[in-house]
Amino acid sequence: MHLLGYLPGNPLYGLWVLLGSHKKKYLSSLILQSAAVSAGTAGYFVLRFYINDIAETGDWRFPLAYFSIFYIVLAAVRGVFSFYRSKLAGSSSEGIVRDLRNTLFDHTQKLSFSYHDNASTGELIQRSTSDVDTIRRFYGDMIPGLNRIFFMFLINFSSIVYLDIKLALLSVPAIPLIIWMSVIFFRKIHDSYELYQEQDGKLSTAVQENLTGIRIVRAFARQKFETDKFDSLNREKLKRGKSFLLKHALYWPASHTICAVQQIFGIITAAMMVINGKLSIGDLVAYIGFLNTIIWPVQQMGRIIAQLSTAWVSYSRVSSVLENEKEDLLSGNESALLSGKIEFRDIYFSYDKSSPVLENINLRCEPGESIALLGETGSGKTTFVNLIPRFYNADRGTLLIDDVPVENYSRRFLREHIGIVEQEPYLFSTTIRENILYGVKREVSESEIIKASEAASVHESIMRFPDKYETVVGEKGVTLSGGQKQRIAIARTILKDPRILILDDSTSAVDAETENNIRETLSKLMKNKTTFIIAHRIQSLVDADQIVVFREGKIIQKGNHSHLIAEEGFYKKVFELQGKIEDELVRELNHG
Amino acid sequence: MAEKHFDEENFSNRLTGKTALRILELAKEHYPLMAGFIVCIMITAFLEALNTFIVKHAIDNAVVPGDSVLLKHYFVLYSLLHLILAFSVFLFIYCAGRLGEIIQYDLRKKLFIHIQKLSFSYFDKTPVGWIISRMTSDISRISDLVTWNLMDIVWAVTNMTSALVFMLLINLKLALAVLCFIPVIIYTALKFQKYIIAEFRKVRSANSRITGAYNENIAGVKVIKALAREEKNLSIFGALTDDMYTASYRAIVLSSVFLPVVQLISSAAIATVLWFGGWQFRAGVFTVGSIQAFISYITFMLWPVQDIARVYAEMQKSLASAERVFSLLDRQPDIKDRKDSVTADSVKGDIEFDNVKFFYEEDDPVLENFSFKIKTGETVALVGPTGGGKSTIVNLLCRFYEPVEGCIRIGGRDYTEYTQHSLQSKLGVILQTPHLFSGTIMDNIRYGRLEASDDEVVEASAKAHADDFICRLPEGYFEEVGEEGTHLSTGQKQLISLARAILSRPEIIIMDEATSSIDTLSEEMIHRGMENLLKTTTAFVIAHRLSTIRDADRILYIDKGRILESGSHNQLLLLKGHYYSLYTRQFRKEKERDLHVFG
Repeated sequence: MHLLGYLPGNPLYGLWVLLGSHKKKYLSSLILQSAAVSAGTAGYFVLRFYINDIAETGDWRFPLAYFSIFYIVLAAVRGVFSFYRSKLAGSSSEGIVRDLRNTLFDHTQKLSFSYHDNASTGELIQRSTSDVDTIRRFYGDMIPGLNRIFFMFLINFSSIVYLDIKLALLSVPAIPLIIWMSVIFFRKIHDSYELYQEQDGKLSTAVQENLTGIRIVRAFARQKFETDKFDSLNREKLKRGKSFLLKHALYWPASHTICAVQQIFGIITAAMMVINGKLSIGDLVAYIGFLNTIIWPVQQMGRIIAQLSTAWVSYSRVSSVLENEKEDLLSGNESALLSGKIEFRDIYFSYDKSSPVLENINLRCEPGESIALLGETGSGKTTFVNLIPRFYNADRGTLLIDDVPVENYSRRFLREHIGIVEQEPYLFSTTIRENILYGVKREVSESEIIKASEAASVHESIMRFPDKYETVVGEKGVTLSGGQKQRIAIARTILKDPRILILDDSTSAVDAETENNIRETLSKLMKNKTTFIIAHRIQSLVDADQIVVFREGKIIQKGNHSHLIAEEGFYKKVFELQGKIEDELVRELNHG
Repeated sequence: MAEKHFDEENFSNRLTGKTALRILELAKEHYPLMAGFIVCIMITAFLEALNTFIVKHAIDNAVVPGDSVLLKHYFVLYSLLHLILAFSVFLFIYCAGRLGEIIQYDLRKKLFIHIQKLSFSYFDKTPVGWIISRMTSDISRISDLVTWNLMDIVWAVTNMTSALVFMLLINLKLALAVLCFIPVIIYTALKFQKYIIAEFRKVRSANSRITGAYNENIAGVKVIKALAREEKNLSIFGALTDDMYTASYRAIVLSSVFLPVVQLISSAAIATVLWFGGWQFRAGVFTVGSIQAFISYITFMLWPVQDIARVYAEMQKSLASAERVFSLLDRQPDIKDRKDSVTADSVKGDIEFDNVKFFYEEDDPVLENFSFKIKTGETVALVGPTGGGKSTIVNLLCRFYEPVEGCIRIGGRDYTEYTQHSLQSKLGVILQTPHLFSGTIMDNIRYGRLEASDDEVVEASAKAHADDFICRLPEGYFEEVGEEGTHLSTGQKQLISLARAILSRPEIIIMDEATSSIDTLSEEMIHRGMENLLKTTTAFVIAHRLSTIRDADRILYIDKGRILESGSHNQLLLLKGHYYSLYTRQFRKEKERDLHVFG
């Protein structure tokens, strides 16, 4: 697999660089085009020779069959050239976009967390698909199209020059006019098409809104209102469609007329030259062929030129994704045996280098300890744990794992030894088995998979699905509940057997029974691992070896439960409030 | 059934006459346009053939004898014909394009109106994206069929026939010889295109898999990083792009063979003309102009032949699109007004579920023998685990669905005796995920009662306690809420949907409280707004919050389609049953959340 490196910002240069190792093939294909066009033009010369031979001079120097055979041979030669031309152009343009697709895919998955935090999924996907496709058409259709028109002009014009230079000059004065007109018109057609498409987008959005809000529409009995609203958008699209098509309807006859004028003028001139004896009748027949090949394709120029501008835009959009630096996964130590000792020393971190998210963080965690993190949303807990697998790099300070700065390990190594269970984990639309195996690189036996899902208490639920472990997530109406997803993620982590564990201990979306199940499996999983728990309940705090309280990016308290309960501060307050809640509850229940 | 009718590429491979007729019927009102563009295409194709014929005569009768006056006459005629040609080109593009746009407009309108009538059972099973594809790409393919596809066919037929007729006029024997080549070309074209189309189908399927992979790669990027899966994913993706490359490359190679082969066959036809034409020329029955004309005609005929298979494939696709659109149009709503249904002036009165049975899937009943009765003005809180049947009760009450057995009475009368429109316009519905339409806040609240004045809107939002936050927005009531209200928080959206419901002056309120946590302040606001509304009106609330539950006149604990516990808050607590444990759990949760500790 060939992945692309740096791509320049300038589209013209960039599209040249993108050709890369396909340059030779691609340029050969462009040159082969001239050979194919020449063979076609040669056919008219055969015709000229033939007519001159039988009509003009009446020599009959050659048997007729010779001409026929020669004509077919020329067609075959032309066919061979045009076959190789298309084949080479096709294989290089497809090859280029294959590299581009792979590069984009790899780059996207290696872009940093901060990049993905701010990027829109739809936008990225559009760049990877439709923009890449525009680039494919640039190499596969647009450039070959222009190249073909160019050679058709060059070779046939030279042929007319060969017949008579004056005739040649009289055959082309309208060409610049046609090109100019087609460029102008197609720019307008293009703009008009964009407007039309934009309205199409609005219509889709309107339908989408109507359908997602269908309950509201019905509940307020607003069908008529919705229909009227849709109709005004629909009418606008009709209007824009008509204006788009009117431009087409004007362009083609107009350019046709100019082409026809040039054609008539050329043929009359040539015919008069025949009458005056300056050209032979065979010349005239060949000339009609040359002239047609020059004039008519030029009408298409504007269309291709208008498309070129879309290729520039697509290139810039693609290269701007690749401009962002990706994470280096591999460099660094890969062979340490982690015990799970972690130390934060004077860590500072901010996303935008101005407002600090973490300040002066100091914390020591011994191997196998459990550390509960407590604090409001935005107090820095999640950012704190995200530093450990090097999802983000600290601005200042040192983070040590087994007394070695975290930067000395490769990211891949670290992440292979850190397990993360999120509160609503993302599952991939593949089988449940694949999802469970997602994080492991070794061979895993069937019984091991089952053991892991049993440990995560999800085996039974899986066996109830139509295809059991082979059930594809999200297909055939198989939707997993939040609790099931979380337990599959736990099974995944059990198989991975990490040294360090990060848990988001939230069960807001599940009922009481599931909640208890999950709690049990989590505590099994935590055994002998250094575990960070983002706490959402008092229970997960009480048993922790260390409790760390965050506020506004700083650690304001740390210690174990009995230690913290004894000192004045946030934790004691929370704990007391907790007690008050229970009292209140008891009071209320008794009161009832 | 569900899977089958969502299959995008699923279409019959035959040109079904019935569907085609139905499409033609769509264009019925616009037959003049259709006739116009067909005639204009025929004129255009004919004139092109005629022009070649004129050039032949100009060469034979003017150029060869050296008659420059006659030559000029010929070219005046030739120019005139070109002018007419240009004009007919304009007309056919204009007529066809216009016809296409109008058909699209009509169909979109028809489909949209139809969708507004369909029942929820349909929407619950059909993804929104599927319906949108029907409204967009399928409709535009149908219009292509009656315009550009039809144009291609008429063009091809006229072009070939007129070329043949002129060739026959010029030289019968030679024309017949050329005629022999036509079936060969057509056969080759169809044969080749079959394979090319099959390859392109593979390209499309590879392409959609690639898009899917990108999608997952981006949406699941954090998991991928956490599990260090990058290399494996890249190698899996690499296999996809290899497939794509192979399929595209094969399609390109096949196409690159196809064109030269067709050209070779046609050059064989031209070679025949050169050979036999030469003999006939010597015999004096063939002319230079004729040779030129034959070559032009043969080249002419080549273009439609090259396209014939592409057009055929496109028509197949269009017909499949049409089948899908028609199947959507033919879909009857499950819930229809009865013939004798009456307009409800008021739906105040007791509400009774009498032995209601309901299921979404036949073998999986959601409610069975389900009965209860509430009095006018009562507030009922429905509580219980997810999937227990609460939402179904609300869906039935809104008549989004109807009972399979038993009946629901409002004011003593079976509610199916009312028209849906009159019944539903008396309901005030507030959904769990508040849905707003793009537009201003004013527009969104006014959705509740379209004729309401600005003052009334403000009054309603004051009652909903939404006024405060709205006034703090830079544009106030004229702030754009964004697509589906994305510019606002969930809490704010909920307040707006509450105001909307208040404005509609409902006689029955149906509310599904949000489970997602919203900040305490907005929750407090919503609660106060609700109080205003619930005081006087009969209300059903799928309740999650303690304050709402406690204030209800009656609480129904529902699980597995049955009412397990029913009574007031205090009564149910004493039972120490399901409600008791639900309540204590929720109590802790809410209080802990209020501490802002675990945020």
